[in-house]
Amino acid sequence: MAGKFSRPNRHGPRKPVAAEAIVLCLICLFCVFPFYWMVTTSLKTQVVALQSPPAWIFTPTLANYWEVLFEDRVGASLINSLIVAVATTVLSIGLGCPAAYALARFEFRGKKDLWFWFITNRFVSPVVLVFPVFLIARQVGLRDTHLALVLMYITFCLPIVIWICTDQFRSIPYDLDEAASLEGAGHWRIFWSICLPLAMPGVAVSAIFSFIFSWNELLFAYILAPKAAKTAPAMAITFMEGYDVPYGKIMATATLIVVPVLIFAIIVSRHLVRGLTMGAVK
Amino acid sequence: MKLRNCVSAFAFMALGLAAGSQAASAWSLEEAAKPYAGTTVDVVFLDRPGYNAAKEMLPEFESKTGIKVNITTLPYENALGEQVRDFVAQGDLDAALIDLVWIGNFAENGWIVPADTFTKDPKLADPDLDMNDFFPLVLNAFGGWNGTIYGLPFDNYSGLLFYNKCMLKDAGFDGPPETWADLKDKYGPALTKDGKFAFALQSKRNETQSADSFARMLWPFGGSFLTKDFKSNLNSPESQAGLNFRQDLMKYMPPGIVSYDHAEAVNALAQGDVAMITEWSAFYSTLTNKDTSKIGDCLAIAPEPKGPAGRKPALGGFSLAVATQADDNEKAAAWLMIQWLTSKANAQTYLEKGGVPARQSVYQNADNAKRFTYIPALVESWQDGVPEFRPRFAEWPTITEIVQEWGSKMMLGEVSVEEGAKTIGAKMEEVLQKAGYYDGKKPLAQ
Amino acid sequence: MTTRVRASTIAAFLGPSVFALALVGIAPLLYGVWKSLHFFNLTKANQQEFVGLANYATVLTDPVFWQSMYRTAVLFFVSVPTQIVLGVGIALLLHRPGLGALRALTRLALVLPMATTYAVVGLLAQVMFNIKYGVINQFLGFAGIAPVNWIGDPVNAYIAVIFWDVWQWTPFVALVMLASLSSVPPEIEEAARLETGRWWTILRHIQLPFLVPGLVAVLILRTADTLKLFDMVFTMTRGGPGSATEFIAILIERTGNRQFDIGLASAQAIILLVLTVFLARAYIRLFYREVR
Repeated sequence: MAGKFSRPNRHGPRKPVAAEAIVLCLICLFCVFPFYWMVTTSLKTQVVALQSPPAWIFTPTLANYWEVLFEDRVGASLINSLIVAVATTVLSIGLGCPAAYALARFEFRGKKDLWFWFITNRFVSPVVLVFPVFLIARQVGLRDTHLALVLMYITFCLPIVIWICTDQFRSIPYDLDEAASLEGAGHWRIFWSICLPLAMPGVAVSAIFSFIFSWNELLFAYILAPKAAKTAPAMAITFMEGYDVPYGKIMATATLIVVPVLIFAIIVSRHLVRGLTMGAVK
Repeated sequence: MKLRNCVSAFAFMALGLAAGSQAASAWSLEEAAKPYAGTTVDVVFLDRPGYNAAKEMLPEFESKTGIKVNITTLPYENALGEQVRDFVAQGDLDAALIDLVWIGNFAENGWIVPADTFTKDPKLADPDLDMNDFFPLVLNAFGGWNGTIYGLPFDNYSGLLFYNKCMLKDAGFDGPPETWADLKDKYGPALTKDGKFAFALQSKRNETQSADSFARMLWPFGGSFLTKDFKSNLNSPESQAGLNFRQDLMKYMPPGIVSYDHAEAVNALAQGDVAMITEWSAFYSTLTNKDTSKIGDCLAIAPEPKGPAGRKPALGGFSLAVATQADDNEKAAAWLMIQWLTSKANAQTYLEKGGVPARQSVYQNADNAKRFTYIPALVESWQDGVPEFRPRFAEWPTITEIVQEWGSKMMLGEVSVEEGAKTIGAKMEEVLQKAGYYDGKKPLAQ
Repeated sequence: MTTRVRASTIAAFLGPSVFALALVGIAPLLYGVWKSLHFFNLTKANQQEFVGLANYATVLTDPVFWQSMYRTAVLFFVSVPTQIVLGVGIALLLHRPGLGALRALTRLALVLPMATTYAVVGLLAQVMFNIKYGVINQFLGFAGIAPVNWIGDPVNAYIAVIFWDVWQWTPFVALVMLASLSSVPPEIEEAARLETGRWWTILRHIQLPFLVPGLVAVLILRTADTLKLFDMVFTMTRGGPGSATEFIAILIERTGNRQFDIGLASAQAIILLVLTVFLARAYIRLFYREVR
């Protein structure tokens, strides 16, 4: 399993360390600078934000945050995003783990096709589904509900869970199953009390991915949840192309959307990196 | 067009109302709203000065009536889509915000309720409603379709020439250009220098491209979208002259003008980067706001320049109408809100808070003309505008997409003006054919 | 190793997710296919009529559709190789010994772009690439380069989209590659290093075989994401200026959401879906070990 970063060579030729350090710093800067700019712009008044050339030193203000959180309902949309992302994650894990277990352990006809069908959903563009879903949602009264979004997010989260967890279950030695089976445990018992605990790393990784993907989704949210269930990314685009483009407010909203997920990503970064290599890299 | 019939119908109706008003002299908003206290009115607003003015005013309405107004603020470019989807889905919007080019569509789909449903109801109609006080052009273009009035004009625009008189003066001009030709041939070269540009014409590929850029150059040159029998008129010599003029004028505009929306054009003037823009009257308050605009006392306003065919300034704006999908209580509450927001009595407040009312009475106050320097130009534009500046029929949302796509391609030089106009014309006729205008299934109303 | 079990057990394990995915994935798709055979415009609901394959004929003969497909393909062929080259480079750099803290910090920094909300990336691009107030042009100014009109010029806007795609996904490639490099048994790598000092030889003969599965995964995921690319472009250029950045998902959204022509949009979407499934199938057949 990857994840620990091996340092294979301790006595290779030492190239100029300084050059390496500079390149590494540049890479860091390249990744981080847009966030720095986002946060500082969010602390600018409109006049400062419209300075040319842009200002690096200015008196910061929290007014933009105040405005978007309490006047523009961004606060409510963040809560909607959280509800939808958590519900999607729980549901995808709940549905996906047993399926992944079955794909890893059981033998049956059409398994390849089934697996392929699950995975293909990961490839389907939301724009393919969104219009029919809008029409259906209006007929069954699901428009502008959290449920509608959760259901649609399952189309891309469930495949991720199945992809990663199938791989994870397969890496668990089959002897354990057999031993338990000899002691009379049924499939559910084996799944629940033996394999699932051992598969926790994979489950965690796929949960992280489900959460991040659901949190970030825009198109379904924009079409299906115009008001009560509006999520934060859909909220962010409502500030665009007003009569004057309020850069500070837009960046404040962006910061509120992105910072929680970035902090989350940093905390779980070890899992995240491993997850990239599971299912995807075998 | 049946504008004239429509106007006279309303004159008649207003007479009737006036006669009835003696009897209903006891009418008051509080009284009328009593049965609807606690009702919530859902409405879409834009993030523009007129709406912010209304937002400041509405708490008074809410406390007087007990009706709650629930506003969803959207960018213009999303507002049509969100409303269409809401109406198709039988959603919860109780009032429709109607750009003049959407009215044919909304009316034909039956999504909005004719205003006389309420004006005939003495319990709901304010005796001081006075429909005749609205500029007739504005009322009919923004709120009326096919002889029926649906909406009351709320956020009203006319195209105006905003300019930086200091820059003009430095370049040796005492006043704004009187004609488009002057703007291009005299003001253009003189004002385009040192990284500054004479003019900016917002032309982004959305409604801005078709309304503010494409149509603006058709009409003053004698062109139009359609002939009398609804065939494309875009390849007529007049239309071509206008579109070619636009192409020539681009050398006096900042690069990347095809990515300019209202915000960018207004900002270019506000920051002193361009000397002139033709923009909607509603931008007055943005340009005079010291927090966002550096132009200060250099700001001056004139009617749009004239072309060979006359002034023909851009006409645009929004009315509010009651949505068919609302229940009876919501309908009544929505009407009371619309009537109150656009009333004669509130026009002055609306004006002072940054809105542009369509009430003639408020502009007769000489004091206002002094305080809001755009008023004379605005009033002049509303005397004689072209209601079909952009056709207002149900097919406009489809046609505008075609104009946006090919109009932008033209400006970018990806197709010639002639080719582009031909393509738009052919695609436009295809849409109109499908809609049934050519086989007499539909009256030729725009 | 796998086992044969009763069909009812299999159904119990797989049933719920098959049902769920059929409900939310297939049912709307079938409905979409049905609608694609109709003239169906949201603003002309009363004119709905069955038109057979007319919408498909319109799409397949529409140069605008193919142009946006072409644009999407060009994006893929420019931006994915760039990401792979840069990503492998960064991974090799991070794989070297020493500078532990700085390397750990870089690995953390690399996590950030790919976790960022795509829509926010577009908004950031608008702010940073603004011709006048943008910080990028300020940087270029330090280097003596005149302000570049990023969003307003067709070619530059396309470059800007590529730039941000590279910004967001190079770190992803780098991290996948780094993980693959770490899976090279240290003894083998060590032995090779004793024989040659040239990194290129080691990369080609020792490391590359271990990188291949990761590269395949990158290719698969980036293909899917390029076909899906919507959020970032929608918030940055909305497909403009003109149609310069009108990628396939943007085009379909425009057809359905602005022209309200759900019939035509559905036909475009189904064609995109067919292409997607074909590509996915081909990739997985070609490169991927399936469930055995």
